[in-house]
Amino acid sequence: MLGIQEIASYLPEKKVSNYDKKEKFELDDDFIENKIGVKFHTLKDDDEKASDLCVKAFANLTKKLDSTKDNIDCCVVVTQNPDFNIPHTSAIVHGKLGLPQSCACFDISLGCSGYIYGLSNIIAFMQSNGLKNGLLFTADPYSDIIDHDDKNTDLIFGDGATVTYISENALYIPTDFSFGTNGSAYKDILCDDKLTMNGRAVFNFTATTIPKHIKAQLEKKELEDNDIDKYILHQGSKYIVDTIRKRLKIDESKVPFDMYEYGNTVSSAVPIILEKEMLNKENNRMLLAAYGIGLSWGSAIVEKI
Amino acid sequence: MKATVENIKEVIVEAEVLGDVAEMKSDIALSEQGIDSLDIVNVYLLLEEKFDVQIPDEDLEQVRTINAIVEYINNKLA
Repeated sequence: MLGIQEIASYLPEKKVSNYDKKEKFELDDDFIENKIGVKFHTLKDDDEKASDLCVKAFANLTKKLDSTKDNIDCCVVVTQNPDFNIPHTSAIVHGKLGLPQSCACFDISLGCSGYIYGLSNIIAFMQSNGLKNGLLFTADPYSDIIDHDDKNTDLIFGDGATVTYISENALYIPTDFSFGTNGSAYKDILCDDKLTMNGRAVFNFTATTIPKHIKAQLEKKELEDNDIDKYILHQGSKYIVDTIRKRLKIDESKVPFDMYEYGNTVSSAVPIILEKEMLNKENNRMLLAAYGIGLSWGSAIVEKI
Repeated sequence: MKATVENIKEVIVEAEVLGDVAEMKSDIALSEQGIDSLDIVNVYLLLEEKFDVQIPDEDLEQVRTINAIVEYINNKLA
């Protein structure tokens, strides 16, 4: 059965400190640390593109996994900041990695919810087509689209990438997916030239929609909070993660918060944490939830084999 | 349910803001009494849910103090 065998991430070494922006945006340390939850956000080099971040994530994967590129038959990149409008970034990654010509490549244009949709799509595509070894990349470098005078967005986002190795030697398999969209609110997070975000609308959406969505999925699968070892929530901000957790009445120990040192990496946020939580032998069943641009959301229950 | 200073303060307590809500002044802006921008957004959401009213962005200037919130919500409910 196809599933997640391994995950590797890449975060640039260069970081921008939110403490340096305290005067500009009239912040205090408590707001930075306990409300936004981002002390530093990572920054790629100016000339780096999404494909370069993917390649670096793959380099980190090869340190963990004794596997050959020649076996890769599927390569998917989740991004909304592609290298170019044309061609798809996954084709560029294919070329940079020297993957075989028999490999299927396509991109998925989704933001914060992208890992959940990506995971469902790559597994279903591989299963339908008898493919065995896939790479699911997430790489959405927002540093290219941030308005540095916009307090709503300048403090939050960091650059990064992940790669998830999908194979039949899975450690975890998804057992349920659940999705949702509210396209009438698409303007709440929009990028024409620079990213704009209606902070209040996005908070209201996440605080009201996501707890209900998670509850509904658990009910559908006849699961309760006790059955879930960890909830890996998209790291929109510490305030959003804490609000969702409190509304669901989940113990804080089951909801990791991780982005203090790197920021909101969009579709990489969930897999960055999943990479670490997979190492914990006590995590037999986890619920992943991601939400944002679209407005789009999705969740997955993953279980250890 | 009518809005009162007491039940508005209960909502602010529910938002888990810093500081002693009981000591808050009803005629001074919430933002000037230690409630930051994220907590204020949460307070407004909780008010909308509790009283089943909508507070659109263009009305936010009308709900800066507890007294103003009470008047605004009761006008909406009337």
